[in-house]
Amino acid sequence: MTQRIQSIVIVGGGTAGWLTAGVIAARHQGRMKTGFSVTLVESPNIPIIGVGEGTWPTLRSTLQKMGVSETEFFRNCNAAFKQGAKFARWTTGADDDAYYHPLMLPQGFTQVNLVPHWLGSHSDRTFCETVCPQGQLCDDGLAPKMITTPEYQAVANYAYHLDAGKFAGFLQQHCTTKLGVRHVLADVTKVNQSENGDIRSVDTQQAGEIAGDLFVDCSGFSALLLGKSLGVAFKDCSDVLFCDSALAVQVPYETPDSPMASHTISTAQSAGWIWDIGLPNRRGTGHVYSSRHCTDEEAHATLMRYLGPQHAHLTPRKISFHGGHRETFWKNNCVAVGLAAGFLEPLESSAIVLVELSAKLIAEQMPANREVMDIVSARFNDVTHYRWGRIIDFLKLHYVLTQRTDSAFWKDNVDPGTISDRLKNLLRLWKYQSPWFFDEFDRLEEVFPAASYQYVLYGMGFRTEVEPEDNAATGTMAAKLINDNFALTRQMRSQLPKNRDLMKKIFEYGLQPI
Amino acid sequence: MSNVVLLDSQSHRKLRVHAKAGAHYGDNQRFVPVVVNEFHALAMHYPILFSKDADTGQFYCGAMLGFDSGENLFLEEHRASSAYRPLNLQRGPFVTAGSDLAIDLDHPRVASSGDQELFTEAGEPSAYLQSVMGLMRELRPGLERTRIFIDTLMSLKLIEPMTIAARFDDGSSREFTGLYTIDRNQLKQLADPAVLDLFRRGYLQLIYLMLASRDHVSALAQRKNRSFLPGDDSLQGQPLKSGLA
Repeated sequence: MTQRIQSIVIVGGGTAGWLTAGVIAARHQGRMKTGFSVTLVESPNIPIIGVGEGTWPTLRSTLQKMGVSETEFFRNCNAAFKQGAKFARWTTGADDDAYYHPLMLPQGFTQVNLVPHWLGSHSDRTFCETVCPQGQLCDDGLAPKMITTPEYQAVANYAYHLDAGKFAGFLQQHCTTKLGVRHVLADVTKVNQSENGDIRSVDTQQAGEIAGDLFVDCSGFSALLLGKSLGVAFKDCSDVLFCDSALAVQVPYETPDSPMASHTISTAQSAGWIWDIGLPNRRGTGHVYSSRHCTDEEAHATLMRYLGPQHAHLTPRKISFHGGHRETFWKNNCVAVGLAAGFLEPLESSAIVLVELSAKLIAEQMPANREVMDIVSARFNDVTHYRWGRIIDFLKLHYVLTQRTDSAFWKDNVDPGTISDRLKNLLRLWKYQSPWFFDEFDRLEEVFPAASYQYVLYGMGFRTEVEPEDNAATGTMAAKLINDNFALTRQMRSQLPKNRDLMKKIFEYGLQPI
Repeated sequence: MSNVVLLDSQSHRKLRVHAKAGAHYGDNQRFVPVVVNEFHALAMHYPILFSKDADTGQFYCGAMLGFDSGENLFLEEHRASSAYRPLNLQRGPFVTAGSDLAIDLDHPRVASSGDQELFTEAGEPSAYLQSVMGLMRELRPGLERTRIFIDTLMSLKLIEPMTIAARFDDGSSREFTGLYTIDRNQLKQLADPAVLDLFRRGYLQLIYLMLASRDHVSALAQRKNRSFLPGDDSLQGQPLKSGLA
C-alpha cells in the first residue's frame, strides 16, 4: 500500500483541466526528472463550455507561479482588467440603485474596522467611496495600473476578464511547451477500477489505456470519473439559488476605441440578472435567470431590451445548468475540479477561483503515496465543503438583502425557508456587529473575505447598530484612515490612465516583467 | 508644442541656433536618455542607470544629472565643455526623420540671436551643423544598439529595480524611484556560455561601466550639497533648480 504517487492523470481539457495541470506541473517541476508526470487526456470531440469570463486577483499569482508572461496572457486570451463588480438595481430596482464590490480592501483593513465609523459619522457618502478609491476609478473608466507598472503588480488591486475558450488554448500551449505536461487527445471509453475502488486506468478510443496514481476529474458537468464511475451524488442547491438558465451573447464595440469598463456590471432584472464584461475586442453579456420565474422568450426580450435596438440582430446562446456541487470532491484516488465538482451562477466569478484554490491544494498537499492519500483527501473535502457552503451563502446574501418586491423571483428569494441557518444567524449577528477579522472568516484562504461581506452588506443598505462609545477608542485612527483614502483616491485618479488606453499600450509595447 | 520640419539649405539658410547648455534651452533634465556608444565618456562623470519610458513602459538607459525634477547639476561644465555632455543634450533642436535631419522650429534654441549658424554664406553646412550630423550618426544606430543591449540583459534577468535615497545638508531628503540597475547577484550566477557571449558582444564592458558608474551617486549628492554653501565660486549666481519641477 505504499505505492508512490508519481503519475497524475487529468481527464478533461477546459479551463479547469489546464489550470490544474499547470499548477501541479509548476509546483512539482523538480520531480519531473525522477518520474513524476502530469498527463492531460482531452476529447477531441467535446467542446469546451468556457464558464465564467470573470476571475479573482488570485489568478495573478497563479499565472505568475506557472511562469506565464502577463503580457502574453493579455494578448492571447483577450484578457482585460477587472477591478470588481458594480451591482445595479439589486436593492430597490430604481434607476440610480447601484453599489460597488471592489477588489481593494478598505483602507487600513488590518488595523481598524471602518464600518462602525462610517455608519457613525460618514454615511453621507457610500461605504465604498469612504474606505477605498476603486469605485471612483471604475466610474472614471481608469485602469488599475500604468504601463510602467511591472507585470502582475498593481496600483489598485485587480483580476481579469478573459475569453475562456482562448484561455484554455493558451494554457495548453504553456503547459505542454514549458511545463512538460503530456497532452493526449483521446476519448475516454472506459474507466478501470481496482478492487478497492481506486481508478487504475482509463481506456481511450485513440490512445489505448492510460494508467495513473491520481486522477483529476475535469470532465465538466458529466463528472465522468467522480460522478459516473465512483458514484458520488450531486447536491442540488436550486432551493437556495434559483437561477438555472443563461442566455449569453457577445456584443461588439461601436468602434475599436470605445471606452471599456474595468469592472463587471451586474444589473438585476425581474427574474435574474444580466452580466456585462469588457474584453478588448468585445463585450461579453448574458442574462442569468430562473426558468421557474420566467420563460425563455421573456428572458430573451429582457436581454435584448438591455442591449438596445442596435444589437437586435444578435443571437444569444442558451445554457442550462444545475446549481450545486458533488457531495464529496475527492474519493479514493480521484478528485474533481471545475464543473465536475460543481457549478453556481456566475454572480461573483467563483468558478475559476475555486479551480485555482482546489488545484493549489492538490499541488501543495500532493500525497507522497497511496497510504496517506486518504488523510489528504479528508482534509481536501473538509476545506472544499466549507468553501462551497460559504460561496452559496455569499451569493444568497446578494438576494436576501433586496428590498425589491416587484416580482415573485425577488419575493421568493427572501423567503426564510430558502436561506441557510448559518446565513440567517450571521444576518442576526451583523445587526449588532459588522463582519471583520474576528468573525468566522478565519480560514487561510477564504474565497470571500470579510471585506467582501462589508461591501455587499453596506452597499445594499444593511445597517448595523453602532454605539458611539464603542467607536471612541479608534476614532482618531479611523478619521485618519478615511482621510488617507480620500488622498489616495485623488492621487490615483490623477495618475492612472484610461482602461482602454492602457490595454492598447499593452498590446503595442507590453508590460515589463520587473 | 513642436514644429518639426526637414532641414532644407534653402529655406533654413538664415536660421541660427543656441548651441550652449542652458536650463531654459532644455538642459534642465535630471535624467537624460543615453546610448551605449557614449557609456565610456559618461561613466567618467555620471551614474548610468535604466528607467522606463512613461509612455511605453520600455526600458532605456539614462545618465543621472541631478536629484530633483528639472535639476541638472552639470550645467556649468556643460556650458564650459569641461565635462562630457550627453548626445541627447548636444543635439539640441535636431531630430532625425528617417535618414534625414529635421529641426524643431519651435524649440527655444532656434532664434535669430543664436550663437551658431547652420549654413555658410555659400549655402554649405556650417561646422556646427556638420558636428550635429556627426553626432546623429552616433545617436541613431546607438539607439538600436542600446535596445538590443537592454533586451539581452532582460532575457538574462540582469536588471533589477533600485531606489536612490539621499539626505542633504539642508536637512531635506529625496527618494528617486523608477530606476533600475544591473543585478550583481544574477550576474555572478550566469552560466559560462552566457558570460562568454556577453564578453564577445562587448556587453560585459558596458555592464561593468554601469556598475562602476553607480559610485557617482554620492559625488552627485555632494555636488548638490555644495549648492547650499554660500559663496561657492563655481555655482554662485547659478540657480540649480529651473523652477520647472
